[in-house]
Amino acid sequence: MFVYLLRRLLYTIPILLGVSLIVFVLFHMVGGDPTYQMLGKHANPEQVQTLRHELGLDQPLTTQFFFYLKQVVTFDYGRSYSTKQPISDMILNGIGPSLTLAIPAFFLTTVFAILISLFVAYFRGTWIDKGVVVLCVVGMSIPSLAYILFGQHILAYRWGLFPISGYEIDFPDRLQYIVMPALIWVMVSLGMDVRFFRNAILDETHQDYVRTARSKGLSEKFIFLKHVLKNSMIPIVTYVVIEIPFLLLGAFLLESFFGIPGLGSITIDAINSSDFPVLKAMTTINSLLFILGTLATDIVYTWVDPRVRLK
Amino acid sequence: MKIYRLSALAIAILAFSACTKKDKEPANTVHIAGIEKIKTLDPAMTGDLYSGDEVGRTYEGLLQFHYLKRPFVIVPMLAEEMPSYSKDKKTLTFKIRKGVLFQDDPCFKDTGGKGRELVADDFIFSFKRVADPKTLSEGWWIFDGRVVGLNEWRDEASRSGKADYAKEVEGLKAIDKYTLEIKLKKPSAQFLSYLTMSFAMAIPKEAVEMYKDDFARNPVGTGPFVLDRKNSNLNSKLIWNKNPTFRKELYPSDGSEEDRAAGLLEDAGKPLPLADRLVVSIYTETQPRWLNFMAGKFDWSKIPKDNFDQVMSADQKLLPEMTQRKLKLQKSPKLDITHETFNLNEPILGKNKLLRQAISMSINSEPYIELFYNGRAIPAQGPIPPGLNGYDPSLKNPYRIYNLETAKDMLKQAGYPEGKGLPVLEYNTLSSTEYRQMTEYIEKSLGALGIKIHVNTYTWPEFVEALKNKKGHMWGYAWGADYPDAENFLQLFYSKNVSPGPNDSNYSNPEYDKLYEASLNLHDTPERTALYQKMVKILVEDCPWVFSVHRIEYVLTYPWMKNYKFHEIEHAVAKYWRIDTSLKK
Repeated sequence: MFVYLLRRLLYTIPILLGVSLIVFVLFHMVGGDPTYQMLGKHANPEQVQTLRHELGLDQPLTTQFFFYLKQVVTFDYGRSYSTKQPISDMILNGIGPSLTLAIPAFFLTTVFAILISLFVAYFRGTWIDKGVVVLCVVGMSIPSLAYILFGQHILAYRWGLFPISGYEIDFPDRLQYIVMPALIWVMVSLGMDVRFFRNAILDETHQDYVRTARSKGLSEKFIFLKHVLKNSMIPIVTYVVIEIPFLLLGAFLLESFFGIPGLGSITIDAINSSDFPVLKAMTTINSLLFILGTLATDIVYTWVDPRVRLK
Repeated sequence: MKIYRLSALAIAILAFSACTKKDKEPANTVHIAGIEKIKTLDPAMTGDLYSGDEVGRTYEGLLQFHYLKRPFVIVPMLAEEMPSYSKDKKTLTFKIRKGVLFQDDPCFKDTGGKGRELVADDFIFSFKRVADPKTLSEGWWIFDGRVVGLNEWRDEASRSGKADYAKEVEGLKAIDKYTLEIKLKKPSAQFLSYLTMSFAMAIPKEAVEMYKDDFARNPVGTGPFVLDRKNSNLNSKLIWNKNPTFRKELYPSDGSEEDRAAGLLEDAGKPLPLADRLVVSIYTETQPRWLNFMAGKFDWSKIPKDNFDQVMSADQKLLPEMTQRKLKLQKSPKLDITHETFNLNEPILGKNKLLRQAISMSINSEPYIELFYNGRAIPAQGPIPPGLNGYDPSLKNPYRIYNLETAKDMLKQAGYPEGKGLPVLEYNTLSSTEYRQMTEYIEKSLGALGIKIHVNTYTWPEFVEALKNKKGHMWGYAWGADYPDAENFLQLFYSKNVSPGPNDSNYSNPEYDKLYEASLNLHDTPERTALYQKMVKILVEDCPWVFSVHRIEYVLTYPWMKNYKFHEIEHAVAKYWRIDTSLKK
């Protein structure tokens, strides 16, 4: 296990280097010179020169790339061009609000999706199954922005069921503001998850061991809960585990519209203000999380399916 | 059974989420919406309007603008009175108010956290900090080349890599604890305006030393409100509580008859701040901001472009649903201008005035104002917006009267009949939807003349980099007043300010420069106004910009919101606001 882990971690080094190079070149091409943006409309050439030197922008590109690599390794991404705050602090401060929304929303989505998938797979081919699949497709087809606009305008403003938006620093106070965005998250994600989980479960129902179980006279309910669910967990766990690291990155639109100061909202602001160091940091972290996510998935495989061996 | 358990759990979560442990909010709390996240609470770094507004709640400078008077009038803030001048008008002496205390803060270790008294040295420290190259302040321009010895002090700091705050600067002297002397290199009519800006606000050295990089989130000023740091977040909500040690400042007693009729003098003579708390909730998206206002969660709001039709009729009046809610509308012209810039550094445009005039004449402001501003703007005739001395309401710019036929004739005279022979013009714009739509309008207008443009769509840093490096033929831009003096607009055409300075059309005219330099020595007199108007006439004829529009701000207030008056320049306005608690249930 340890050797496997070490080998996988070593594999990530060239991937990370490649990703870093692509990110660096990309942002160098589209980033523009940030000095004028940072110094404001009254900047003079002397200030521009000083700041360019301060930021290392007068250095050769290779030096700038190695400086960026150092940032990746040390998790010190410098300062935001827009807010001038240390980016690492911005990221650390944004994780809490993002997770406050993401954890309950993700948990609820996964639980509901598994329950609904089992239910419709049990009634496969019937009008219940077909109806749920149609609903899933409809749910997936509606953009999240539509849910947000409907939720804020109708559920919150017209009917007063939830606060329209907002956020509090204190933990119990902030929960009231999380309910509606979390429900929207569930609505947006449920369709895709149910369709995927349902297919994974149905694949298992066609396996030989299910036929054997049926021929032994076991009840359909028992087969589903005891055997099918357990075996269909491999693709489901893969799907779920790979998403977990991304929860840290927050939900762009939800955070922005509900005023939640998480990483999604920070990223949207960085896009709007062309704050490239923040975007560069978020892109790099995104890649890192993806690599970690796939590694975690491989490890979880062995736990879910003992047939899988780490070699 | 399980379903009951799940339901119980869901109810418990909702009940838990509904219970709050926050302190009870005072009834006299003003709630407003912030439209952008607050970048900093460090006065030296406030390059944007929104950070400036928040800084103005807790920091103060020597001078401020009168809340009610228009045109804007400068009055003392932390200065006891307006400064006295030497005979040559180069030395300003400020008497500072005695007994003004900084807010209590752990940074004041000598007094066990009790705020110490403000002294003249605090201003010297604050001004030097703006000049310190390490601070990277956007406000250095207010002192640059103006205060005797300050540029040399800055140069020395750049050379040595560390600013020596103990080293005296000839132009900044504390004569005694309460007397500050500022020596200027030459008289400046605008310098007092600069001192009203957030860059010139007083900060205590102890706070900068203690909080270091975190000073931007730990404000310690002398102002009317104190930040509730525990419950505030610069990205979502700022809670400002009344400063219990705030100096004695009274609500102004002098205002116009219009102010009296609007109830803006009802609190005359009352001690400030009037509200017990101010809560600024930040929503960068329009919909939640607007819905919260309509739900009565905010006490005043600007009207977003997309919600304009829900509020206003076609004849620019409040709809009956709004008047039934007793909402009040304030319309206030903004001190700004939007424009199409011609890059005169490019010979095609720079050497062909007729071409510029023809283009200017081909862009019709009326539909442009309807399309992009819901009618909330007036066509600009020159660079000076209404509300500033030098603005001439009778001025009719002949090249801003839309006339396609005349424009075509002029284009022919310019050497490009129906645009033939004219190369494709490079037009720079931003990538946002609104800018792209505005660009399409310009493309269509110029297309009607036979002029083709190639659109370069940029991110903001790329856009600024292009114009600072004189790339492209044309671009749309806007300028908002830093201070209420037409000079702030006219300096945009001074030849010594060409790119990367603020004169990004790279306009240069010796006659204009001469008049501009002459105006700098004059205070606000009819002679100066006449000079300004003469300069505007030169600009109208030379046409370095297509003068586009001056925007008008529309603000809605609930009846319980008292003393709101739109003030574009002054940041320290929240101290005048209060809630009529009998009307807000």
